[in-house]
Formats: sequence, C-alpha cells, structure tokens
Amino acid sequence: MTAPVYILGGFQTDFARNWTKEGKHIAAMIRESVEGALAITDVAPREIDVGHVGNFAAELYAMQGHLGAFLVDVDPAFSGLPTGRHEAACASGSIALLAASAEIEAGRYDCALVVGVEQMKTVSPAIGGDYLGTAAWYELEAKGVEFPFPKLFGKLGDEYDRRFGLDDRHLARISAVNYANAKNNPRAQTRTWYMNEAHACETSSYNPLIGGRIKVSDCSQVTDGAVAVIVASARFAEAYAARRGRPLDTLARIQGWGHRTAPLTFDAKVAESKDQPYVLPHTRRAITDAYARAGIADCWALDGIETHDCFTTSEYMAIDHFGLTAPGQSWKAIEDGVIDAGGKLPINPSGGLIGAGHPVGATGVRQLLDASLQVTDQAGGYQVKNARRFATLNIGGSGTTSVVFVVGA
Amino acid sequence: MARKIENVVVLGANGAMGSGSGAVFAAAGIRTVFLARTRDKAEAGRARAEQMVKSTAISRFIEVGSYDQMEQAVAGADLVFEAVAEDLAVKREVFARVDAARKPDAIVATVSSGLSIAAMCGGQSESFQKHFLGIHFFNPPNVIVGCELIAHAGTDAAVLAFVRELLAGPLGREVVETTDTPAFAGNRVGFKVLNEVAQLAEEHGVAFMDALIGPHTGRAMSPLATVDFVGWDVHQAIVDNLYANTSDEAHAAFALPAYMQKLITAGHLGNKTKTKGGFFRTDGKGKETVKLALDARTGDYRPLAELSRPLPVFVDQMKAAIRVGRYRVAMDAMCDAAGAEADLLRQVVLGYVSYGLARVGSVVARPRDVDRIMGFGFNWAPPSVLADAIGARRLIGLLDRAALLVPRVVIEAAEKNLQLFDEPEVDRGRYFVAA
Repeated sequence: MTAPVYILGGFQTDFARNWTKEGKHIAAMIRESVEGALAITDVAPREIDVGHVGNFAAELYAMQGHLGAFLVDVDPAFSGLPTGRHEAACASGSIALLAASAEIEAGRYDCALVVGVEQMKTVSPAIGGDYLGTAAWYELEAKGVEFPFPKLFGKLGDEYDRRFGLDDRHLARISAVNYANAKNNPRAQTRTWYMNEAHACETSSYNPLIGGRIKVSDCSQVTDGAVAVIVASARFAEAYAARRGRPLDTLARIQGWGHRTAPLTFDAKVAESKDQPYVLPHTRRAITDAYARAGIADCWALDGIETHDCFTTSEYMAIDHFGLTAPGQSWKAIEDGVIDAGGKLPINPSGGLIGAGHPVGATGVRQLLDASLQVTDQAGGYQVKNARRFATLNIGGSGTTSVVFVVGA
Repeated sequence: MARKIENVVVLGANGAMGSGSGAVFAAAGIRTVFLARTRDKAEAGRARAEQMVKSTAISRFIEVGSYDQMEQAVAGADLVFEAVAEDLAVKREVFARVDAARKPDAIVATVSSGLSIAAMCGGQSESFQKHFLGIHFFNPPNVIVGCELIAHAGTDAAVLAFVRELLAGPLGREVVETTDTPAFAGNRVGFKVLNEVAQLAEEHGVAFMDALIGPHTGRAMSPLATVDFVGWDVHQAIVDNLYANTSDEAHAAFALPAYMQKLITAGHLGNKTKTKGGFFRTDGKGKETVKLALDARTGDYRPLAELSRPLPVFVDQMKAAIRVGRYRVAMDAMCDAAGAEADLLRQVVLGYVSYGLARVGSVVARPRDVDRIMGFGFNWAPPSVLADAIGARRLIGLLDRAALLVPRVVIEAAEKNLQLFDEPEVDRGRYFVAA
C-alpha cells in the first residue's frame, strides 16, 4: 500500500430491526448509522471530507436512488460534501470502501465517511428473491426462477461434490457455528432464534430444501441494516489518536486489499476453472492479492476471518480459498474445529451473513467494521482473544465480484 | 455442590405461557417435561413449542405427560415451572402437591403476571418457600426476551442469584428484578397507560384516542388494539389487582371503566371473542370486510371510517420526522404543540415517563430496570429513551405544567446533565415508529 488508511471506528444498526414495520424511509437508516459513527468516534461532521455509500438495489426495494445525497441530509455541516453511491451487488459495501481508501491513498482527502445500507423487508420474500436475481445475469439465470440465488449456490456445492465430494453435514455444521456465534453478538439478526446443528441437519417443513441441496438453514437472512465507518489518512489519524490520548498503532489499519471480477454467469465461472485447483480462481486471487499487499504469507498470519457466507456453500468455498486447507479439503477445517469461535482460525465470530444478517449493500462495511473491532479488542461478546489481524471476504453475485481486506492494528 | 438445571417440569404446559416457557427451556438443551391435565393437552403444548421455534429438533428435549405423573416427574426435577390458571387458589393447590414430591433443593417458579409471590407460597414448607420465586416471561416467550424475576422476602439469596444467571446466560433473557408488588414492574407501568387510554376513550372516542397515542408515541401496537390483543378479561384482572392493592399517584388510572365492565359481562373480551369484539371488531369477509370501532358511550360498533376524526397537525409532523430518523424533531413537535389534543397526548405519554421512572426505588432499583422491561417486554419506547429525546430539563417543565410527578432520577439527570438511557447495545431509534 502506498499510503496507510486507518479505520477510526463505526456503527452498525441492530440487524434484527424491520424498518418498514417502523414506518421508516431508507434516509432514517443512513441517518442513524452516520450519527452513531460520529458519536462513537467523536469525529465532528465538519471533519468529514467525503462520503461514499454502498447499496445494491434501493431503486427496487425502496424506489429511491441517489443515495449519496442522503448523507448531506444528516447534518448541516455536510452541506456541499462530495458524495457518491457504489454498486456491485452484495459486494457494494466493499466497493464503497475501496473508493474511499483509494481517495485517501491518493491524497485527495484525509477523512472519509463510508455507509453501507440496504432496506430489504419492504417486499415479500418472493419479490425480494427476484430483485436479488439482478445480481446474477438476470435474463439467463434468474428471470422466472423462484429464489435464483439459493439455486446458484446450490450449484457451487454440486461443483465441489463433483470435483472433491461434499457431505451436507459439513454445511450444517457451518450453519450451526454461524448461528451459535450470532448469539454472542448483540446486533445480530438471529441472536434470539432457535437454531442448532440438529435442526440444520433435518429436512422438514420447518427447514425445507429451497434450491438444489440448499435448505433454509443454509441461507443468509433477508435483513434491513446500515453500517457507517470513518476511514482516514495517516495525517488525520495521527492528530486523531493524539487528541484521544492513544498511540497511533492502537488504531485499526487496512493493511492490504484484493479485488477481482469473474465472468457473471455461474456456468461460465465453472467452465473457466475446469482444470484449475480452485473452483473460484478469481476469488482465490483476490485473497492472495490482499495477502501480498499486506505482506503476509498465508492465512496463518491471520487471527480470524469475516467471510461472505451468503450460503453455507460460499463459506465452504472460502475455507479452502483462504488456504485453511488444500483445495476441496474444507471439511477438515470444519471437523477439526479450526473455524469455531475458539478455534485456530475462527470464521465469522460475528455470526456472519447467516447469523448476523445480510443487508446486501451493508455487508462489506459491516465486515470491515467487525474486523477493525476485533483487532482493537472492542468486539465485546464475540471478541477473538488477542486478535491483531483479520481478513474479510465480500462477494457480489455467484462468486462474481470478490473484495478482500486485511485489517490489522 | 454446584447447582445444575438438567430436568425441568412445566405445569400447565398446554397454555400459551406454559408451552412457550417450556420451549425456552428445551431450546437451551434442557430436558423438559410438559405436563397438563391430560397427556393429549401436553402433546398439543409440545406441538405448539415446535411451531413457535419452527423446528422439530426441539422435541429431542421434550417429554409429555398428564398430572397423574406430577409426583413422579416433580421428584426428578431441578426446576418446577408453574404456568397453570392465574388463580391463587388453583396455584396453591398445585404447589401443595409439588411441595410433597419435590427434591429438597428443587427450585419452584411461577410465571404469574402479577399475583403476590409471598401469598402463592405461604403455607408450604420452609424449604419450598426458600426455593420459590417468580419468573415472569412475556408472550410469546421465544420472541420476547424481556422477563421479570421476583423474589419474595423468604427466597434464598443464592437461589435468586442462580436463577438470575440461568435466565441471563443459557436462556438468553433480558432480566429485570422487581419487588413482590402487584403486577410487578412491566404490567404496572404498562397497564396504567392502557387503562388510562381506555378511560379517556369514553369522552374522546376509541378510534381517536387509539390513533392519538399511536405508534408515533413509542410503541409498535397502539394501546387499545393492545388491550384487544391481550384480552379484556386479562386486562381486568390486572387493573383490578392494581386498583385494590396499590395506592400511588396513579391510583385512579387503574379503575376499570364502567363501559368495559358492562361489555365484559356481555362477553366482549377482545380478539379472542371475534364476533363480539373489543375496542375494535372486523365484520364481513373478503371485499365486504368492514373494520368497526366501539362507541364507548353507547356500546355500539360503528365503521371506523365514520368514527375517525382527523388527528391534529402536530401528529403528522411527528410521523414525518420519525420516518426520516429525526427523532428529536418529533419530540420537539410533541412538546411544543398547543391545544387540548396536545395536552391530552402529553398527559398520557409524559404520564408514562413519569409513572415509570417514579417506580425506581419501590418496584425496581434502577431506571434501567423499567427501561428494560418496557423496551424488551412491551416493545414500547423505554421511559428513559423518551426522557433523553425530550431533554431532562424540558421534561421537568412539561411535567410540572401537566401536574405530573417529577421523578427524582429526572431531576438528577437534569442537574448533572446526564443521559438516562443506559443500554449502549440498543438502538434508541427502533422505538420511534411512524405507522
């Protein structure tokens, strides 16, 4: 990295909330997250130089575009603030973060506000599923298909099965670990839900198959949520740390990043990776790019991972792609408890997308916030002991856009 | 020896609270025996528990039986959880059987929503009394995590501490300890508001009062719709108990309105008596559906559309501000509005803040306790959330003007410039609703 980018802190709304039932416009979500981030970091609105919003589909879910402009509404001091909105399906939040960090690295601005937001409970699950289909190649993969994404990620499981063999009990274990972790996260959507490995293993009217081998318990949630983080240059961070009476190195910093885009349709991805060791080679490259930029050799330099478990199969994929096991051997890390909360390399101590929730455009920002809380010992009930370096993986589409951050302190 | 809860027996496991509470224990992986008058009824309770948690996996921890097996089941129980009818005599009879069969160190808890804990265990063995307390879950217990924990004077302190840990830990509850006073904290503060709105509905109209004190005043469900949901018989039992056994500044607010008494006698119990209704009733089916509201003065039901009168402009201002997340602006609109309707709204809403926070010291120890049970139990804006959004200083002036008691904790907050709400993990915004 040419110039360091620091994470001063941020705020996540309670992902269990239903903002439609509260009668709220998406503006309220943006406002609450920004006011929360400013309060927690003690950064004054006038100190913010630029704002970025990550969001997938407010035009569909909330009949509202131009979300960057809603930042200006939050505080009179934001009048005139340069803002923009970024979209890359479920990776939208990470793209907003990449834009903000690139501007800081380039020296354009010293302090950026990044908000990820999605309001999804405005429509029925069927209509929402159709909207999510626009993250695939809609006409080819989603049009007229009921719940297209579970089916696409079911195919990811099938591809693992074909190449290496896949036992669905390992997927159930991934689900159970995420739900169990969510119980320790006071802002996780499913923190009070009944869920465990026995339930995840059963196929019943309460846990039906909804797309190939994917059961309800294999899926992330439909979630309303907003997350705001404040990132800053070294110059800003030094002054900030000084006024807070803390050494600069107690602040979290983005140590490395990776960003790759694969062919949009799932079949094209699989065709391309046919004779390669990794099922999703571009995701693997986003990870190794981030490792290289952070100057680390492999995953064992990490103390934890916040990954994109939109379905259990995507976490299964992440385990070998991060290098916890050889390709196709993810089940070993699951069986050995490596990914458990107290394991050698915990995955999703927050509960991830399955347990904490998946407000699509907010997820990448939530992951970075959680990673920064972990490495600064502020993650409370889901803190990984002595964590100093975390990675995130945020995926848009069926493994299409992959963004990885390595965060350390 | 360290105390453990490995076997729970639920008595009255067929009812809503019994099966729901049983689901909470079983969901934590504790072997739970569901007992009811008949085995079939207990089986229905088990099925209901599955429905509530949406999983059959929970049944691995549930066994069922009838009261014929009470002695045998209770003899093996570490915790006996009573959820039979809310009737002191019935409960005492059940407790006598439990007392005779229980292990000497078995804990016995009641889910009663307001009967005296001391009176329920009076006359049982000393050991029973030491191990007896109230665990008041709210319906449905698997969804509403707020619960009250009530000791009586004779409850063993170690037993109380153990149950507190059990509830907050493995059972995932937000626990509030209250004194053994009528209706405990949540129902005392909550039903004061509900009954006050019911009283005011006689003069101002059911439809109008329910809309005036609607979600924009900090609740998911409007007050009179809540009474219909709870059931008028349950409402009566709670407010009658409070009227008979409390004597505080809100005593008059607990008097059940005469029109409600008359309708209860005629079988109007709210949603559970669909054809008769409560404050509201829905007639007809499909396109013919008409929502009716009670005319409290005549006892007739008339179309809601006919009875509704427009809400004052400041209510629209509150809703518009809440919709975009400007909660302080909404409170400004509420505080600054002039006119009789604004006074009426403030009487109820500020009366709630006042009454809730004034219970600190007698019913609960800290403002946080009232806030927790109203926020996590009733899903209402906790009194401290409203007090903070209004501002303690301004609140004192408004309370004085409305001739409402100024709680000591509000005076302290104003003097020290403190925020009252003390739940950093809770989004205050979730309690402001623009429906």
